[in-house]
Amino acid sequence: MGLPSGTRNYTYAQDMAILRTRTHWALFIGFLVLLFGAPLYLSGYWLGVANLIGITLIAATGLNLLVGYCGQLSIGHAGFIAVGAYTTAIFTNRLELPFLVGLIGAGVVAGIVGLIFGIPSVRVKGFYLAITTIAAQFIIIWVINHWSSVTGGFVGIKVPYASIGPLVFRSESSQFYLIFTIAVICTFFAKNLARTRVGRAFIAVRDNDLAAEVMGINLFYYKLLAFFIGCFMAGIAGALLAHWVGFMNAEHFSLTESILYIGMIIIGGLGTTLGPILGVVVIRLLQQVLTIQLVPFLEESLPLPSGFATGVTPMLFGLAIILFLILEPRGLAHRWMLFKSAYRLWPFSY
Amino acid sequence: MAELLQYLTSGLAVGMVYALVALGFVLIWKSSSVANLALGQLVLLSSWFTYGMLVQAKFPAWLGFPLVVLFALALGWIIERFILRPLIAQPILSLITVTLGVAYFIEGVVSFIWPWSVAALPRLFPTEPIRFAGAVVSQEYLWVTFISLVVFGLLTIFFKYHKMGIAMRATADDQLAVQACGIPVTVIFSRSWMFACVVAAVGGVLISSIGGITYGLVETGLKAFSVVILGGLDSFLGAIIAGPIIGLAESLGGGYLTPLTWAGVKDIIPFIIIIIVMLIKPYGLFGETRIERI
Repeated sequence: MGLPSGTRNYTYAQDMAILRTRTHWALFIGFLVLLFGAPLYLSGYWLGVANLIGITLIAATGLNLLVGYCGQLSIGHAGFIAVGAYTTAIFTNRLELPFLVGLIGAGVVAGIVGLIFGIPSVRVKGFYLAITTIAAQFIIIWVINHWSSVTGGFVGIKVPYASIGPLVFRSESSQFYLIFTIAVICTFFAKNLARTRVGRAFIAVRDNDLAAEVMGINLFYYKLLAFFIGCFMAGIAGALLAHWVGFMNAEHFSLTESILYIGMIIIGGLGTTLGPILGVVVIRLLQQVLTIQLVPFLEESLPLPSGFATGVTPMLFGLAIILFLILEPRGLAHRWMLFKSAYRLWPFSY
Repeated sequence: MAELLQYLTSGLAVGMVYALVALGFVLIWKSSSVANLALGQLVLLSSWFTYGMLVQAKFPAWLGFPLVVLFALALGWIIERFILRPLIAQPILSLITVTLGVAYFIEGVVSFIWPWSVAALPRLFPTEPIRFAGAVVSQEYLWVTFISLVVFGLLTIFFKYHKMGIAMRATADDQLAVQACGIPVTVIFSRSWMFACVVAAVGGVLISSIGGITYGLVETGLKAFSVVILGGLDSFLGAIIAGPIIGLAESLGGGYLTPLTWAGVKDIIPFIIIIIVMLIKPYGLFGETRIERI
């Protein structure tokens, strides 16, 4: 079904190949060229949007591994991103360590914090875990806001530009390359992880954790591993966000943002590699188009109540989450699959 | 000593409100195993609606409050009928996240209709402080505690003796058996959502009559989760006992721990309690320990 007509697999390697045919390769390379050529044809504003999309994508990929593959619901993802952002801010600003140390450190510290709050997942699941992660979100943000000697508190903290050796990522386009290189690596990693023993174990845990345990999967290990990887990616995303924005305070990481992350992977499609990409692009673009372009335009041309600007975005996104869950719980990725198989078989119905 | 008494009364009152809101959660969880994460937003919305009725539309209290109750009933019915009903028998992940979508939507509605973020409800209770054993106790807190207790009493009687209440308890026990007895389970789900919204509205009005309407009401709803977790997800008794515990922990901790730690420790105590309970006794004080089978 995933292959064009007439293409058959004769070896295991062929079967496992992500890019199977020449057309796949051509399309893929074309896509990469188009992606990494973006600074040439995108204006500064849209490049900024693209950077935000890239950062969000890294975090959403991590969340998808945790929620979509391993089935451990986390509603504190923005909190873990905040841990990463502040770790790199403290490392590079206060301790004056190089950027790469800050980046990796952000991932590791966020991963460890994720582990700590993930420990209850070994005994509980579903709603209990959701509540634990909400609690984690509030505790993390509270610590950030009040540990002012280290984090800068409510005032915030300055973050220097990212730099590797003499290379300083100052302009929007240089940061674009940094962010999207990491985003592509993360997506590739997630895609491959899902096909290994670990990924299969995650899926088994998601579908029925008791049955998985009976089959010999170490629940403690795999659930915490999922938390670590998911939060590691959140930390990396947070670090990139911090270096990109240049100034951090806790307002970037509200509970609403966490809910939005969940919304993104639901709209994109849980448990697929394509899902987070589609979800993130759709949600972030909608957000930009709605809040920056459409809402001011509508407000000028129509007599709207003053709450329209702040209220319409959450309303639409909330509605989108609800409608997707009711009408298409497998998300946009599934729709894309349907479309692909339809055009492959066209003009025959099956 | 005077300080302590004040902390005790305010903690007790706030705790009772938490317990009320938590009761709304337990109602839904028991009958339909849906975890309603939109609790805080329901509290927020119904408080703003009360504001709309009493202050903006200037309705007298005898007309305004019944309208609030009607609104809460309608809200519960709509949420159940159009959002949860199509998701019956879906995986638990969908059921939880759909309430997150509801939460997000309601937040949007609230900031759409009431864009200013703070408002005050008219005082419902006499504000004159009572002097008691050398301490000054705000009368409002006593009233809130009293009204919460009355609501609890009414609900308890309802569940014990009313036909609908008995049916709801039966549904909580065994959905299949209830259906076999000819009780329409979907009606029960719908009723439990309606009740939960009313209870959340009462809690919201009580707490915002003291503290005003702010976005912090969402956190009130979230703190009610710590009551649910501590008391046990499926226990009314647990909610009633854990509510005051959380309220007291919050106000005493806020009073005595703030000098030792950072400001605002009050707001974080319920969440710390959640984590501790999760690690030690995840099913809470009175919750039923679920033994799962494959």
